[in-house]
Amino acid sequence: MSGEVRLFRSVKEVPPEDYYTSGRRTCAGCGPALAYRLVLKAAGPNTVVLGPTGCMYVANAHQFLTSPYAVPWFHTQLGGGGAAGIGTAAAFRALMRKGKRRPEEVNVIVFGGDGGFADIGFAGLSMGISYDYPRLLYVLYDNESYANTGIQASSTTPWGATTTFTPSGKVKKIGNERLKKNVALAMAAHPGVRYVATATLWPPLDLPNKVRKALESGGPSFIHVLTPCPKGWFTPPDLAVELSKLAVETGLWVLWEYENGRFKLTYRPSPRKHVKHYLQLQGRFAHLTADKVEIIEERTKKEWEIWEEMDRTGKLMIPWTPPPGYTENA
Amino acid sequence: MVALPEERSLGSSYLEELIWVAIHGRGVWHTGPATTLARTLAMAGMMAGRESYYYMRYDDSPERVNIPMMFYVVMGDPKVGVLLPEEVEPVGNLFSAVVVMDSGLLLKETSQRASLLDGVRDNAAIVVNTGLSPGQVTALLRKYQPSRGWSGKLVTVSASKYHTNVAFGLIGALLRAWNVVSLDHVLSALEVLKIDEGAGRAVASAYGDALVTEVVLSAEGSEAAREGGARVPELRAGSWDAETYREYQRALSQARGYEDRIRVMPRWEVIAPGLIEFGPRPGEKNLGFKTDFARIEAPVVDKTKCIDCKLCSYYCPDGAIDFKSIEVDYDYCKGCGVCARVCPVKAIRMVSELERVEGLEDPELKKLSLAVREYGY
Amino acid sequence: MKVLTRAGTEAIQVPKKKPITGARAIAEAVKLADVDVIAAYPIRPYTGIMNALAEMIANGEFTAEIIVADSEHSQFEIAKHASAVGARTFVGSSGVGLAYAAEAVIVTAMDQLPVVAIAGCRALDDPGNFGMEWNDVLLFRDSGWLVSWAKDPQEALDMTLVAYRVAEDRRVMLPHFIAVDGATITHIAAPVDVPPKKDVTEFLPPYRPPYPLDPAYGPVTKAQHIAPSLIGPEQRKHVDVAMKRSREVIADAWRDYANYVGRKYDPFIEAFHMDNAEVALVTMGAYTINALRAVEEVRRDGVRAGLVRLRYFRPFPSWDLRRVLSGVEGVGVLDFSYSFGSPDSGGVLFNEVRAAMYEDPKPALDFLFLGGREPKPAEFVKALKILHEYVRTGKTPGDKRVFWLTLRGEDV
Repeated sequence: MSGEVRLFRSVKEVPPEDYYTSGRRTCAGCGPALAYRLVLKAAGPNTVVLGPTGCMYVANAHQFLTSPYAVPWFHTQLGGGGAAGIGTAAAFRALMRKGKRRPEEVNVIVFGGDGGFADIGFAGLSMGISYDYPRLLYVLYDNESYANTGIQASSTTPWGATTTFTPSGKVKKIGNERLKKNVALAMAAHPGVRYVATATLWPPLDLPNKVRKALESGGPSFIHVLTPCPKGWFTPPDLAVELSKLAVETGLWVLWEYENGRFKLTYRPSPRKHVKHYLQLQGRFAHLTADKVEIIEERTKKEWEIWEEMDRTGKLMIPWTPPPGYTENA
Repeated sequence: MVALPEERSLGSSYLEELIWVAIHGRGVWHTGPATTLARTLAMAGMMAGRESYYYMRYDDSPERVNIPMMFYVVMGDPKVGVLLPEEVEPVGNLFSAVVVMDSGLLLKETSQRASLLDGVRDNAAIVVNTGLSPGQVTALLRKYQPSRGWSGKLVTVSASKYHTNVAFGLIGALLRAWNVVSLDHVLSALEVLKIDEGAGRAVASAYGDALVTEVVLSAEGSEAAREGGARVPELRAGSWDAETYREYQRALSQARGYEDRIRVMPRWEVIAPGLIEFGPRPGEKNLGFKTDFARIEAPVVDKTKCIDCKLCSYYCPDGAIDFKSIEVDYDYCKGCGVCARVCPVKAIRMVSELERVEGLEDPELKKLSLAVREYGY
Repeated sequence: MKVLTRAGTEAIQVPKKKPITGARAIAEAVKLADVDVIAAYPIRPYTGIMNALAEMIANGEFTAEIIVADSEHSQFEIAKHASAVGARTFVGSSGVGLAYAAEAVIVTAMDQLPVVAIAGCRALDDPGNFGMEWNDVLLFRDSGWLVSWAKDPQEALDMTLVAYRVAEDRRVMLPHFIAVDGATITHIAAPVDVPPKKDVTEFLPPYRPPYPLDPAYGPVTKAQHIAPSLIGPEQRKHVDVAMKRSREVIADAWRDYANYVGRKYDPFIEAFHMDNAEVALVTMGAYTINALRAVEEVRRDGVRAGLVRLRYFRPFPSWDLRRVLSGVEGVGVLDFSYSFGSPDSGGVLFNEVRAAMYEDPKPALDFLFLGGREPKPAEFVKALKILHEYVRTGKTPGDKRVFWLTLRGEDV
């Protein structure tokens, strides 16, 4: 299927029309909003979008008479993203099969956050990706917290980040004690899945091209997008793209594709920058002492051995991150 | 059968019996300082023997970076005796003090899409954190904040000179023009709240330096002081579609002030069942929600340097830079600065909105910092 | 009626009805309704409906997308979203499954999407209990869902067909539960007439939502977050109005149904022996037939008892109930629901009946049958006797108003 995909070769080829338009209450510099814009540009107007509760629901509304969606759009519950996509896709297929609607290819995109897709909606997402509806795309915008409720930890919040549920304090200093869950790998582990990818806001065409490939893959697909969040990450609002770039240059965020069972990296940082270049820009890590930063650096370095091997063999492996406090017995 | 008593004033003016302070700030930047300010004033009110409350306007939460938000302090006379509403309508003679935490807010609608002067009493005190002069601030109020005429006291203060948390400089300045609580009340409140001594010194210092200006604004001078500016679309039940929706959006965009805005909202018979709204056509933007009020800084594109790479337009989180012309749509730009960052030839400069539209510079605008938040939800 | 003959035997009349389980009967209705999308998740006792549908689809008896969801919450979400696009949908659950789906269920009513669902009433956990209680579907009594209540597999089939007609009517556009009293209906095969497709097709026009979520229609934005100062009560009002309008739509639908299918029902209540009743039992669902036996037995003893069965719980047919109970001196509710801590610690139906009768109140007693233990007709007779005594003397055993007649230890 990917042979038929029309990929963008330059930013100038990306359509100027926005299907998620200006005029909403998102933060200045909102990474998820930028991702939303780019995803819908790549998908085009023949698309239905489902929006689980979260920043990309409440921030885009919060009033009345203020819709920014130039394509059909429907709210769904925080944990309902997987099912919403399936219900929508199934309806189109049923109606087309039964001659109740003209047959054509309609994109169904569920744009949900990490709170929704990695936690409460994880089971639903797993169900969704196990079906066979083509043009059904789940996009997880990962701002690494439940941002809409004021920045609480989710299972994709990185180790050592401050959130209101995992604040760094005088006694408990580390902040978030759990390791970041790799949702994309979990999705890739589903049998028969056609297309799973990770992305962020940099390089510029990476995300829209992956969206195009996903939509053409012939089955439900999943893209996990790291989306910097100035409020949650404690950064000035102009750093969304720069942070995305640093995330991949330090190797903390890995860009890869898993297409019809074959794994490949889509960006290789070389050389890989020290993680501190990324962490030091963000107030949510400001409490981390140098030794903690080094732990993160070591982890990243070790994980990259596995990513490299996956890229070499084309096969999925699971990088095992030792839990905090683990010491190997000789 | 006993006859029911005459209706007392429990309609919209029942809140006017209380003492209200409105605090205008920006989401995330000011959540911490605004909380400190509100809490300190409320505690001072308690020290002065008044039942006192403070809260962030719930509808402004979650606070979003740059998006204007409000806090309230309410003091009883001496008791409060009513439930404080989450949605405080800025109407009538409500606010006896208004605190404005950055001068960019003087140029735009408030978070309630109202004028800063809506609901403000005559003889109220307006305090602005700014390096601008009272004359300059008055001119901005006259130009950008419609009113039916207003007269009161204005104090300007460069609050960051006194303390990194601008709350303290602002309180000090406020006390010069507003005598509901005294300096002593505030200083003892700070002690009770165990806030550092620097805070007390800052308040006292700002109080000492503050100068009060009497301001008179007439209704005609106000740029958009039209009464009932928006025309409510004709009532048509059962025909809720994209066209009707856009009529209501247009009416909303023409609304001047809070009451006008509520007035143009449709009755229940007009909307369709099932929570139905309509999006813009591709290429159009959201008529119902301009976001220029979120701009502290604005991008200015130097076309002579621009190489038309389209990266700024591509990377604007709000889609506010036109792809073809690389013109910034200042109705929607929030001034996040991503465009300036991604421009490979540094053709985009971020200037304060104040400078861009009025040619004025305000050093206080450069002092915004992401302070630790207190409210957090 | 067809007649079978074999050489040398007498003619055998083929009856119109055949023994079919309630599960299967409902599935037949779903097939007749040409449902487009079905979302399934297993829980006793409603699962058989989905089994039957899956089999029908696999054998090509009709075309629909049937999705196995990962939970009941997903199940009802799938149905809601399919309905928004314009698909006719079917879904269902029982017991705690309905509780698990609650978030998805309640928003479907606010979204005014005409999803039709079966509630296979089953006692809520804890503990696990396959017995029958009403509380699972009653969790949604405030939500805006229509709720009809079937007495047997035949009525379950009929109610399912009528539900689509009522729910999808532009004057209503509300989702619709059909409550069936657990395994008694789903698992016991009873005589059912499945109407031929041609009788149903005209009765049930195709589903055409006014604002389909479909790029072919246009950019509809549905269920955006709102600020209550701007809009809020206005949206709720539409659900209120739709529920009120449903009364007329329901009555019309059953009238019409009788013309197509030949089975006539009074839309909202079924009344037995009410013409001269001095005491009346009020109930819903499958136990009505046993209550009727009890009524007829005490009539033989000279007690003028009557019985009212509610066919709809929402909208609650207060108008019909007031009319039919106007002449009685006492009302006994046969109640399979609890509502701990409610007024008089009665069940849900008890308090709804009392509220409906508020302007013309009658002495009322509540007979709770909880924990799934099946009452026998003798218990209903006992209820009538207690009720009759109460009306006659104003006294009840222990001066109680609420009785747990199947409880070991009630000592009545």
